[in-house]
Order: sequence, then structure tokens, then C-alpha cells
Amino acid sequence: MGGKNTGVVLTPEQKAHNRKRLMTEIWKHRMLYLFMVPCVVWLLIFCYAPMTGIVLAFKNYRFDLGIFGSEWAGLKHFRNFMTSPEFWTTTKNTLIISLLKIAICFPAPIILALLLNEVRAKKFKSLVQTMSYLPNFVSWAVVVTLLTAIFSPYGGLYNDIRKSMGLEAIFVMGERSAFYPLVIFSDMWKNVGWSSIVFLSAITGVDQGLYEAATIDGANRWQCTWHVTLPGIAATIGIMFIMRMGGILSADMDQLLLLQQPANLPISQVLDTYVLQTGIKYGKFEYATAIGLVKSVISLAMVTLTNFLTQKYAEVGLW
Amino acid sequence: MRETKGQKIFKVFNYTFLGLLGLVTFYPFWYVLIASLNTGRDFMRGGVWLFPREFTLENYAKAFADDRIGPSLQISVAATLIILVVGLLFTALAAYAMCVKTLPGRTFLNFFWYFTTLFGGGIVPYYMVLRSMGLTSSFWLYVIPSVYSFYNFVLLRTNFAGIPYELRESAQLDGASEWTIMTRIYIPLSKPILATLALFIGVGKWNDWFTAAYYQSKAALYPAATVLQRILAEASAGSQVKVGQETASAAMTTYTSQSLQMAFVMILTMPIVVVYPFLQKYYVKGVMVGSVKG
Repeated sequence: MGGKNTGVVLTPEQKAHNRKRLMTEIWKHRMLYLFMVPCVVWLLIFCYAPMTGIVLAFKNYRFDLGIFGSEWAGLKHFRNFMTSPEFWTTTKNTLIISLLKIAICFPAPIILALLLNEVRAKKFKSLVQTMSYLPNFVSWAVVVTLLTAIFSPYGGLYNDIRKSMGLEAIFVMGERSAFYPLVIFSDMWKNVGWSSIVFLSAITGVDQGLYEAATIDGANRWQCTWHVTLPGIAATIGIMFIMRMGGILSADMDQLLLLQQPANLPISQVLDTYVLQTGIKYGKFEYATAIGLVKSVISLAMVTLTNFLTQKYAEVGLW
Repeated sequence: MRETKGQKIFKVFNYTFLGLLGLVTFYPFWYVLIASLNTGRDFMRGGVWLFPREFTLENYAKAFADDRIGPSLQISVAATLIILVVGLLFTALAAYAMCVKTLPGRTFLNFFWYFTTLFGGGIVPYYMVLRSMGLTSSFWLYVIPSVYSFYNFVLLRTNFAGIPYELRESAQLDGASEWTIMTRIYIPLSKPILATLALFIGVGKWNDWFTAAYYQSKAALYPAATVLQRILAEASAGSQVKVGQETASAAMTTYTSQSLQMAFVMILTMPIVVVYPFLQKYYVKGVMVGSVKG
């Protein structure tokens, strides 16, 4: 509608006519607006209202004055956080865990999808798939309980094996050196199957003619995988990678909160869990909001940057 | 085409590897199952790996009778059922409205939905909204804030948009109302995706321990997953002391806090394991639609 009107000066009558037509259009669709009301109200309350709550980060909050009535504090909370020792430890821990996961847990489902693609026995393939998707559907609370049971010093499988080898039983879950392996292993166990679906479906989409052409040219199975399948799913890998980079500062809070123990806290306290601890548990609302804000701004920047880089070098992008 | 030696080796390796992967994924569930069916005291001696040694159902009986676990299961069931109905209904309504092409203001509304995925207020402002609404001490904490999710909305809207528009137009000529068009044409044609969404929403709610653990101030209103997390935290905080006490008083009981926990884990996992195979063909498709077009 807007395009038609450019360059033409409208008379007041025409404007009134257009407005009237728009109103009738809106009136005609009134039921649809009504349909949207619940979700729109929901978004306003649970997404847009918290956005205005960000001003908390720049205030000295007093309960009796409310968020907007409290006095301004400038960048005090940001300064406090940047100069505190927690700034370095939490940022470092977040990055270490995220990078470990990107290095190990990101390629794993791609490899799994490639391996599954080579399986010709249909029954076997679907059995493996069914098994590997299952852990995605159980709660992290269940996963960590399973781990605790298996690694328990009292009748747990792991320590049974250690004992039968003449070694002493150890309390693995409280062991600081076991933290990273536990994080990586449990993440793999829970997510590798489910994440492979996306790549598997991308592989199905690769043009079969390309394989035939490659085989005629004398390519073996390995060369087909390397030169046909992988380039064929590069776009999917790229998009998944960009999204993963956006989450680099959120290292799966659900999992880490459950694996946190007093002994491993120096390496397991990440930005998200620190925000929760200071904000919700200790009630330092403004301080925690400031940290959260820093985090979401950096995350947005990371997605934009990765998007720019992949678009430039691999011609894949989210937008 | 004959296989070369290298291909044969790869095939053997591949099948062995994938078979092992399946086993490693499945075994922990089996382990918990036999642990929950074995008397707790006997289990602590170790060596129960493949089958229960001293079979019992006592752990389950004790778990259901427990004054924390029992009520928490009721809360989880109630929250899951309510959110399934309310969440699906409201998401379907909004998704249907947004796929009508003639709707005035559609571009702006699209942005209104999408913007929330780019930027958010963070945990603390969100918590303050919950608190100011009185949700932090209410059962509705598990329902109202989870009515909508962008992912579900997009999945459903993409599916609705794939339904031929002519169906809608001809129904309108016949004088059908929007409600009739949605419930008689769009919903029946979207059954697979609705099944997928139901699974995602239901499982998500059933598994959610976080919401209550951090936002709920009344411990009596904890859902099952949160109670499990609390038991886990308590057990690991005092694990050395507690187990010692249990062995000392072992003459009186045959179950332990651990065997009770195992039964609880099975109770939490069973509904998912039962529903899951029936819906598998649907949700795999659902994930693909979401990832390709979402």
C-alpha cells in the first residue's frame, strides 16, 4: 500500500478514505487480533517488561521507592564487577567450558551423523537412533543423579571396578579434577544423538547425482564423504556454529548448577550461575542485572561477529 | 560393487562403535532400574551390575509414600496437563492469526515476536516481574510463564503457512468464521506438528527443576524434578556422614536414601520412556522443519 502512494500528493479526502479503508480492514480481522491477545499480553509481561527492568543496573535499588523511583547510580555496579576478582574467574571459567564444549561437543554430532549415514542395516540404524535420542528427553536433574549413582563410593559401578583392580574408592563428584570430564561427558551423553538429527537431515538433502558423478570419477567412500557430503552440509554446520557462538557466554546453566560442588566452585562458577547466586540468592539485584546486561551485549556482538566472518569466508549467514 | 578391504574394516569398526554408543546411552537407565529394584542395603555392598540381587519393590512403595515425593508428583502432573492444553491453545491461536496474509500490521507484529529472541532483560528483572505478580509463591508459576515460547510458535506458524491458502479462502466464501477455519481445517491438518509440540511442552514442564528451585518460595509447591534436585544436593552435602549413619542403623531398614532416589528417578523417567517411541516419527520431522525453515 505504501509503495503506491509515494510521490503522489494525497488530498485530505483521499487520506480520509484510506484511513477509513484501513479501519474496515482492521475491523474485518478483529477476530484474529483477539486470537493474538493472550500471547501478545504474555510477551509484554514476560519479555518486554523485563527489558525495561534493565535500568536497575544503573540504579541504587530501594524496595520502597521501586525500580524507577530509586536514585541513579551511574556505572557503579559495572565498575564494581569489572574490578572484582569474580570478573576474571567467572569470565575465564565460562570461556573455558564453552570452548571445551565447542571443540569436543560441537563436532561430535556431525561425526555421528556421518557414521550413521554409512549404515545400510535399517533396523540397526533406527535402534541406535532411538537409543541416542532418549537422553535428550530426561531432566538434567535425572542425568546428574544417574552420574552420582554410577560414581558413588558406595556400591557405584565405577568404584566397584576400581576396587576389583585393587584401587581405592574415590568420591568422583566432589573431585575437582573430575569436573571438566564430567561436564563434557554428560553433555555428550545427553545431546549428541539429538543434535545429530539436524545434520542427518541435511545429509539426506545432498544431491544423489553428485555421489554417482564422484564414483564415476573414481572417488572412494572416504573421498565422497570429504568432497561431497561435507561441502553439502556446510551451510547447516555454519548456521549451527553461529548459533553456538551466540551462546558462548552461557555455558548451559542447568547442567553446571547441578554439577557444582564446594570443591569445584573455583572452576565451575560461570557468569550465569554467578548472576543467579548474587541476584536471586543474595538479593544484590542491581549488581546481578549489570552482569547480565554485559553478558547479553557481548553475546549479541558475538553472533554478529561470527555471522559476519562466516558470511565473508563461507557465504553462510543467519541474516 | 565389491567391497575393498579398507571398506570392510571401516564397516566393522562403524557397527561396533555405534553399537557401543547405543549401549553406553542405554546402560545408565538400566543401571538405575536394577538399583531401584534391589534392596538398598544390599546394593551398597556393590557388584549389582546387570540384574537385581535382592529383588524388592519396597523402594517404590517408600518413594510414593514419602511426604515430599508424593505431593510433588501430583504438582508435576497437574502442571504438565494444564500447560499442555493452555500452551497449545494460545500458541495455535497466535500462530494462526499470524499466517493470515491480509492482516493489517503484520510486518510490525512479526518484528514484535522476533525481537524478543535477540534481546532480553536477564534473570533478575524477569524474577522481579514474577515476584510483583505474586507468582513466586503460587502454583501458577509453573503455568503462566511457560504458555508461550518463540520456538513453538515458529514451528506451528511455519506449518500453518504450508497449508494451501485457497482452503481458507473458500471456507470464508462459505461463511465460515475464523474459529471454524482454524479448528476444522488448520488444526486437523497439523496433527503431526501438534503431537511434536505436545511432547516438547510436556517433557519440558515435567523435567523443569530450575524454575521452582530459584523462583518458588514455598517448598511445599516444589514439583518432582525440583525435589529430586534437592534430595541430590542434600545427599552430596552430607554424603560421608549420612551413609555412615545408614550403615549403623542398617538393622532396622533395608532401603537407603540412595535406593529411594533411584526409585524416584525411575518414576520421573518412566512416563517419558513410555510416550517417546509412539511419537518418535513425529518429532524427528518437527525438528527438521524447525531447523530448515525456522
